[in-house]
Amino acid sequence: MTNTNEPLLEVRNISVGFSDRSMPPALQEVSFSLKKGEILGIVGETGAGKSLLARAIIDMLPGDGCIVDGEIRVNGHAISTMTPQQRRGYRGGEVALIGTNAKSLLDPVVKVGEQIARVLRAHRGINKKDAWQESIRLFEQVGIVNPEKRAHAYPHELSGGMAQRVVIAMALIAQPKILLADDATLGLDATIQLQVLDLLVEKGRELGLAVVLITHDLGMVASYCDRVGIMKAGRLVELTTIRSFLNDGPQHPYSRELLEAARVRPLPMDGQPAQPGAEAAPLLEVTNLVKLFHVEGSTEPVRAVDHVSLTIRKGETLALVGESGSGKTTTGQCLVRLLQSDSGSIRFDGQETLTLSDKQFRNVRRRMQMVFQEPYVALNPRWRVRDLVAEPLKLGAPLTRAAKQARVLELLDLVGISRAKADVYPHELTAGEQKRVGVARALAVNPDFVIFDEPTTALDIRVRAQIIDLVRDLQKRMGLSALFITHDLNSVRSLAHYVAVMRHGKIIEQGPTEEIFANPKEAYTRKLLEAELPIEVREEAPMRAPQAELRA
Amino acid sequence: MRPLSAQRSVAGKATLIIGLVLLAIQFVAIIFAPWIAPYSPETADPINALQEPSLIHFFGTDVSGMDIFSRVIFATRINLLISVTAVAIAFVIGVPLGLAIGYYKGWGSSLAMRFFDFIQSFPVFVLGMVLVSVMGQEIWNVAIVLAVLFTPVFARLIRAEVLSLRDRPFIAAARCSGATDSAIMFQHILPNALTPAIVQISISIGMAILLTAGLSFVGAGVRMPTPEWGLMVSNGAQQMILGIWWVALFPGLAIVFSVLTFALLGDAAKQLFDPQTRSSS
Repeated sequence: MTNTNEPLLEVRNISVGFSDRSMPPALQEVSFSLKKGEILGIVGETGAGKSLLARAIIDMLPGDGCIVDGEIRVNGHAISTMTPQQRRGYRGGEVALIGTNAKSLLDPVVKVGEQIARVLRAHRGINKKDAWQESIRLFEQVGIVNPEKRAHAYPHELSGGMAQRVVIAMALIAQPKILLADDATLGLDATIQLQVLDLLVEKGRELGLAVVLITHDLGMVASYCDRVGIMKAGRLVELTTIRSFLNDGPQHPYSRELLEAARVRPLPMDGQPAQPGAEAAPLLEVTNLVKLFHVEGSTEPVRAVDHVSLTIRKGETLALVGESGSGKTTTGQCLVRLLQSDSGSIRFDGQETLTLSDKQFRNVRRRMQMVFQEPYVALNPRWRVRDLVAEPLKLGAPLTRAAKQARVLELLDLVGISRAKADVYPHELTAGEQKRVGVARALAVNPDFVIFDEPTTALDIRVRAQIIDLVRDLQKRMGLSALFITHDLNSVRSLAHYVAVMRHGKIIEQGPTEEIFANPKEAYTRKLLEAELPIEVREEAPMRAPQAELRA
Repeated sequence: MRPLSAQRSVAGKATLIIGLVLLAIQFVAIIFAPWIAPYSPETADPINALQEPSLIHFFGTDVSGMDIFSRVIFATRINLLISVTAVAIAFVIGVPLGLAIGYYKGWGSSLAMRFFDFIQSFPVFVLGMVLVSVMGQEIWNVAIVLAVLFTPVFARLIRAEVLSLRDRPFIAAARCSGATDSAIMFQHILPNALTPAIVQISISIGMAILLTAGLSFVGAGVRMPTPEWGLMVSNGAQQMILGIWWVALFPGLAIVFSVLTFALLGDAAKQLFDPQTRSSS
């Protein structure tokens, strides 16, 4: 057995390089050690080398990558001295890696219970029937409701959170001593993320594992980890306890920048609605909007948007929040008529839009624009930035070529993209720049109203802060009215005057932002708010109290 | 990953260069045929019939005494003319057709697809023979027959691409920016959908050359004395058993040479357009 004082995992000064020696090593002189029962959070932006570090620890470097310097010791044994046989036992035996998108890690044509049972039989040499029983017991342990039934499910029949639980159960079978979670909850809804993390950390503490949580969410690290490491460009620039990181402040300037960017922007939002009160005429008035989707093999249509009513006045911003599948994006798509609504009314500046023909709707399009969710896929890959930004201009009055070009450059300045980038293709831009191009397109024809679909999702910490700043700036300078569709509640606080909470196609609660945040009336709203992980030191027990299972 | 894609792209470039060299040789034959060919391709000279290959007749002479070398050179014009024309027609009709069928779903597009099934389910030669015998054995008719055969190929390829592109977010974004249906089809979808069809051009030309030759061979293509490779092979086949091998062999080799050219070019195009190899650049 290990001595408790001795580190379980020791990473000594490792550098990882690829065969292309002209490039600097992808990881440079990374050192840390981890004791039994300890949880370390590794935080960094895209390309910082976080995943590579995890792959180095589990001895599965991609391609021709190899450790060029330093060594990794587990239980006092250096990995480099192990025989191939020992290494195989080490991977997945002593160290387990849990990755993003659990569904892709499961075999799509085998029942999940059977997949677990196979691993059990391989590791413990028990017979088929016992393995199946044991796998059901494991499902129970990782908090899967109705394990007998779930064990018979195929991966595609599970939700993302369920699949992640199955993967965690699988990882725990071999009784590893070290658990690496590489963005294991990326893409899961906040409440589900909370459940999965609770489970992961609870199991880690219970079994005395050393856990490494790799993430770009400082809130997650603050809530679950004992220590935090900040990575930048392949280096571990800071490694300290979470308490000193948050209370005494980060030492490294980059960590400071990151923490500042991740913290909620100064709140509440300082832009005031133009004319508070009911006397101002509503710009957008949605009444009892309904959108049905017909599912094959079912006579009962899915009510994606179910009698949604909301009002936005000039200069106001409303945030539509809710988890995936709640119908927020569908609502937005109905507003700009990417989807035909089934019933209800959408009045824009006093005019009913549902009865307009496509041609008549063009006038509305000019005044109502949308910024799309995923920055890259919403831009035609074969168009240059210049043409992408110029495209919506044809909605307005005809412009001369020169006027068009001038307007494009003006817009690029407005959203903070260098004019030199006007002639590049979308794939040559960073995610933040792609998002900015999306914003520039929406603003091209000076719309009165803009729908932002998940403006801050899937962006790195600092880029997210920049986009929030940009949108705030636009709200102030242009008096823009906007609808935010998001599940990032932190950004809602700094961006929206009003919040509407959506669930199962219905708006269950709406009101002024601060009121909702301070005093949510619905249990579901409270649950959503609780699932936000604040970036502050937890004063109570080191582990979060596990949340009650959220049942739909 | 990088070395692999680099390797593939080098292989792609080598294939491309070889293909282009072979193509250049055929272009020389097409343009300079009257100067290269020592004899007229359509003049019979019964006295010198069935001469063995020699310095006077490089590839020998056929049953009517026509110089095979001259005929092989001149036939490059006919064969490539038919094939390129056929594929060009198929491309020009098939691409917009596939675009429309993919973009507008409805009974019209289903009907068009079933019609393509109908065309493509016929054995190629039966269909070719029927059409040519109805329309007459003219060069242009052969080209039209081939165009009919190839149009569904291009339409299907484009349609498949359009179906996956039409629901992509950038199309929705374009619609919000006021793009009309035709702008979405021609400016947004088409440029993104064209790659496989462009690769297919070369492959189809190769197939068209084979089919042209095949139709002539079975007597449903062009007629004597037009110099055409398949026809020449057909004529030579009768003498083959008599030990007169040269009449069929040389035009046969010309077919192989030409088909190989376009197969190589198609292969090179496929490798060079492959997004996996292209992304590294």
